[in-house]
Amino acid sequence: MLRNQNNKVKIGIPRALLFYKYSDLWITFFEDLGAEVIISPKTTKKIKAEAVSLAPDEDCYSTKLYFGHAMALKDKVDYLFVPRFGGRKKNLVGCPKFIGLAEVLRSMIPDLPEILMPHYNRGMDKNTRIGLLIKAFRLGKIITKNPFVRMRAIRRAFKAQKLHQKLVVIDEKTLKKWENSEVILNDFPMYAENEKQLKIALVGHSYVLNDPYSSLSIRSILQGYGVDIITSEQIPRKLIEKQMAKLEYDLYFDFEREILGTIMHFLESKTVDGIIHLLIFSCGPDSIAGEIAARFSKRDSAIPLLQLVFDELTAEAGMRTRIEAFVDMLRRSIDDQAILLTMKAHI
Amino acid sequence: MPLSFPYVGTFTYVFESIARGMKRDDVIVPDEPTYRTKQLGSQHSSEFVCTPFKMLLGSIIEVIEQGAYEIVSTVFVDYCRLGYYSPLYQIILDDLGYEFDLIVLDWFDKVEFFTSFKKLASNVNAVQAFQAFRVGWIKNRYIDQIDKTLYTYGATEIEKGAAYKVAHKLYRQVVETDGMKNIRMLPKIIEKTFADEVEIDEELKPLKVGVVGELYAVVEPAINLDIMRRLNDIGVITETPITFTRWIDLGQRMNPFKKWHYKACIKHAKPYVRYPLGGKTRESLGAIVEYKEKGWDGVIHLYPFTCMPEIISRSIIPQVSKEHDMPVLSLVLDEHTGEAGIQTRLEAFVDLLERKRNDGNGF
Repeated sequence: MLRNQNNKVKIGIPRALLFYKYSDLWITFFEDLGAEVIISPKTTKKIKAEAVSLAPDEDCYSTKLYFGHAMALKDKVDYLFVPRFGGRKKNLVGCPKFIGLAEVLRSMIPDLPEILMPHYNRGMDKNTRIGLLIKAFRLGKIITKNPFVRMRAIRRAFKAQKLHQKLVVIDEKTLKKWENSEVILNDFPMYAENEKQLKIALVGHSYVLNDPYSSLSIRSILQGYGVDIITSEQIPRKLIEKQMAKLEYDLYFDFEREILGTIMHFLESKTVDGIIHLLIFSCGPDSIAGEIAARFSKRDSAIPLLQLVFDELTAEAGMRTRIEAFVDMLRRSIDDQAILLTMKAHI
Repeated sequence: MPLSFPYVGTFTYVFESIARGMKRDDVIVPDEPTYRTKQLGSQHSSEFVCTPFKMLLGSIIEVIEQGAYEIVSTVFVDYCRLGYYSPLYQIILDDLGYEFDLIVLDWFDKVEFFTSFKKLASNVNAVQAFQAFRVGWIKNRYIDQIDKTLYTYGATEIEKGAAYKVAHKLYRQVVETDGMKNIRMLPKIIEKTFADEVEIDEELKPLKVGVVGELYAVVEPAINLDIMRRLNDIGVITETPITFTRWIDLGQRMNPFKKWHYKACIKHAKPYVRYPLGGKTRESLGAIVEYKEKGWDGVIHLYPFTCMPEIISRSIIPQVSKEHDMPVLSLVLDEHTGEAGIQTRLEAFVDLLERKRNDGNGF
């Protein structure tokens, strides 16, 4: 087996999909056990090109990128960590691809290193929290046989995840402060002189919001336009659950609740100037939540909603124009200037 | 208030039988989906939602336009979008300004299911309503039997189209038969009618192809462009294990000795996909092995565009096909799928199977 000088087992984790949600949990767990964790580099053009040529055509863009990230780790690690994750609460599921991804990778790219694929599904399967601990305990055996070290690693990993959650998700007080422009939650917006401050809710999956390549660095574009943003990840869970209770039937896609809940919250509270919703092409849950969001926004159109669909062919120039137009529109509507759509014929 | 439901392949006949059993004489039977249905559905839904969603939405709009008020639909928790169709239909149709009442049957909550079901059957008491449902699932078996026999006779019939004519006559007969005693006679009648009225060429040794995949893509001829009939016309016997029986047939579900095809398939699929992930993923993979063991010639795998679970099976199928030496053709279907494209691919696939049978090597 490939071992480096320290004789540590090398575990590779692709920087895609659920990594953006559970990175602290996984990295702390493996590092505490005494393994070396190698994370694939940030998405680059090369990773994307490889991903698109390898992955099945109909997969969504984010899943395709996962293939590229896995390939980037191929020769560098002893094990690849691709968990099969079904859902964290009863009757709430993720996406079926999260469960099938490990097996698809194994089947499509046979020369990958051994894939560690623990399965956890509380949504539809009868897995319990204790079951998760037992599975993590068994998984740790690959790296160390010492049961105490494994137990400690599990404890620390969950602690780290809790801390991560605490840092990312804000409470209602902070949200109030942000709404009153007392705090800034993300990068400092570059305000120009004599310009109104804009507040926009940036809504989407955490693996789109936090991956500048797949979202075409929309955060820095908005920052450049002097827009103060809040992301759907940061919204307090309580507010989201409150909004979800308004739906006639419970939406069972776990990560979509966060997205739809945020949109519904801001449509109702009207504390932002606009909402930008990032969708990924052919994402199943997105097509449902996106449609509901669009319909709700049409019914109560006080807060404008811009839905942008991303795939591997989306060009930056087109995206930039649309964001620019959207931001301009918001600025003018704040200044109470009528948006004059005039046509000038140049002969 | 006129009652109706979206069109779902031959399962429509079962719906119709249940409504008849509930003594509802104001049932509007949906028409087969046409080009307009697809257009209507795609017009009012999100661009990359799956094709069954668009088709069913189109079908619902069509029945509402025909005057239906109560529309039967269902809701449940699943890995795929299917369970959340109805809440979204409610929102979309509300926005379109139609007047209707979507009766949502919650399939996983059996008490709730029969309460809503009883609401539909206002003319009869609870026992009669349940009896109507029971007759429905029994008739479902015979509809499945007609399908199965049809796909066998259709391949070897001498006069093309004869088997289909007989089948359509029998579907109606199944729907219109009343009384448990008469219903129990149906299997024999079906068998006899096919044997009497369809002349077959017994010297032919047709190829046998199993059709698996996503439920709606398999059972609805409008989305798969009548793939069963196309295969029959080029002289291939087909069969599909994907029917509604496993859900609706509570009688068979309660029978502990019943050998379910899909359970056998899931066992075969264990080395490839271990845990459930929605759709018919594991079944599609396992069915390839199952049909190989039965000595069939090939498998066709159908799924609608952007179907989440079936993309996983489509990605793993090449491996299963290679390991078990079984030719598999995967077809993506959406509302733009052209007839010529499908026909060419089917003919090429069947040619390959024929050569494989004759020289033992397809390539």
